[in-house]
Amino acid sequence: MRICEVMDRDLTALSPDTTLSEAIEVLTRHRVSGIPVVDSTGRVLGFVSEKDIVKAALPGYFDYLQDPSFIPDYGQFQKRLKKIGHDPISKVMAKDVVSFSEEDSDFYVAITLIRNHLKRAPVVRDGILVGVVNRADLLERIMMEEEPPSFA
Amino acid sequence: MIVTVTLNPAVDEEYLVPEFRPGGWFRASKVQRSPGGKGINVSLVLKQLGLETAAMGFLAGFSGEYIRDVLRKTQITTNFLHVRGETRTNVYIVDEVGKVETGLAEPGPYISEEEIARFVSNYERILKRTSLVVLGGSLPPGIPQDFYCELIRIARQRDIPTFIDAAGAPLLAALDEGPTYAKVDQRFMGSYEGVSLNSLDNLIEAVTRVHALGVEWVIASYRTYGNVFFTPEGIFLAEFDRKGIVSMFGSGESLVAGLILSDKEGMDTRGRILFGMAAALENALHVEKGVRDRAAVEKLIPRIRLEKLS
Repeated sequence: MRICEVMDRDLTALSPDTTLSEAIEVLTRHRVSGIPVVDSTGRVLGFVSEKDIVKAALPGYFDYLQDPSFIPDYGQFQKRLKKIGHDPISKVMAKDVVSFSEEDSDFYVAITLIRNHLKRAPVVRDGILVGVVNRADLLERIMMEEEPPSFA
Repeated sequence: MIVTVTLNPAVDEEYLVPEFRPGGWFRASKVQRSPGGKGINVSLVLKQLGLETAAMGFLAGFSGEYIRDVLRKTQITTNFLHVRGETRTNVYIVDEVGKVETGLAEPGPYISEEEIARFVSNYERILKRTSLVVLGGSLPPGIPQDFYCELIRIARQRDIPTFIDAAGAPLLAALDEGPTYAKVDQRFMGSYEGVSLNSLDNLIEAVTRVHALGVEWVIASYRTYGNVFFTPEGIFLAEFDRKGIVSMFGSGESLVAGLILSDKEGMDTRGRILFGMAAALENALHVEKGVRDRAAVEKLIPRIRLEKLS
């Protein structure tokens, strides 16, 4: 099945100069974990997820920690998050975006999302945002589809 | 792509209550719940007729999520801004026995200046791929009364035609900006510039004045089942009889959708009016909003009486 039959045709997107605090507000209000970043024509430039924001608010050495229990206290995290709240999302967004075209198969999209540890990704037509795919929706769809006949 | 703007969407709840009257306690024989608001309704009907659209505006709370979910399942492209508060619910009580419809509307959530600015930037972005903008319905609290003016101006700067279906002050303000099409809903608008819209002569005078503002097509409802059309090819009156009519709820938007689709297919003026009116009639033949499909609409064209007035 083609992904355009499963995708969410929602064009909610942010511009690269949106501040992080505004991005957080949009993420919560829309109840999604990530949103595409587009230019004034709708061309996808990046993707910002809550994971990117959390990462930006954590200290630089976090990657070297093996265990999140070494994380500094809540107050420090909050302080950093508030400090970067005015930064544009272009600073933290993923620029190397995994995106799909409407003709891609649901199976290909599911595998690519899983392989890249992604929950959501944009669907584009000539580089312009036309929708978003969600891993959970795809799993549901694959679960509902009839199993292919077995030749064993 | 056609873009529909619904600044104040609603969850429409239609209750079928035989012999409804105020002051009593009734049980509904049927309840119909659907996403609503003029722009959204146009998007839904165009989808039923096979035309893709993108719907935008403001949604809030639980009702907003419901609307977005249904639009998503219907595979309509969406670009709504989610705001605080709760999207309104509009209640319609349809009395099949007495043939009376009663409506109740809420004001809708408050929209802040920041949210308006965010909406305008979304609007400007989507216009880059838009062939027609449909603006419909009331304005939620917080939105300035002349907001439709601004949206029409932005579209006109990009040579994109606009279709406005509204009433009251927001419509009057918008007319000055000269949208391409304007539908004047007489139910919510008793008069225009002091001219009462109750007689055919007065209606013709009103639509002529609106046309003078630069509006190419003006559509004004006449009696219960008719419309006066001011078109570049003259003024027409189109009506249908009340046989089989259950609820006119949503018929106005089916008319708008029918006019849009027939224009896209290059029909002539008469053909467009007939198709639009047939879509409105088809909508009125059942409690469910919208049309069944294109074939059902076309079958009703012979029931439309069309007369050229001048």
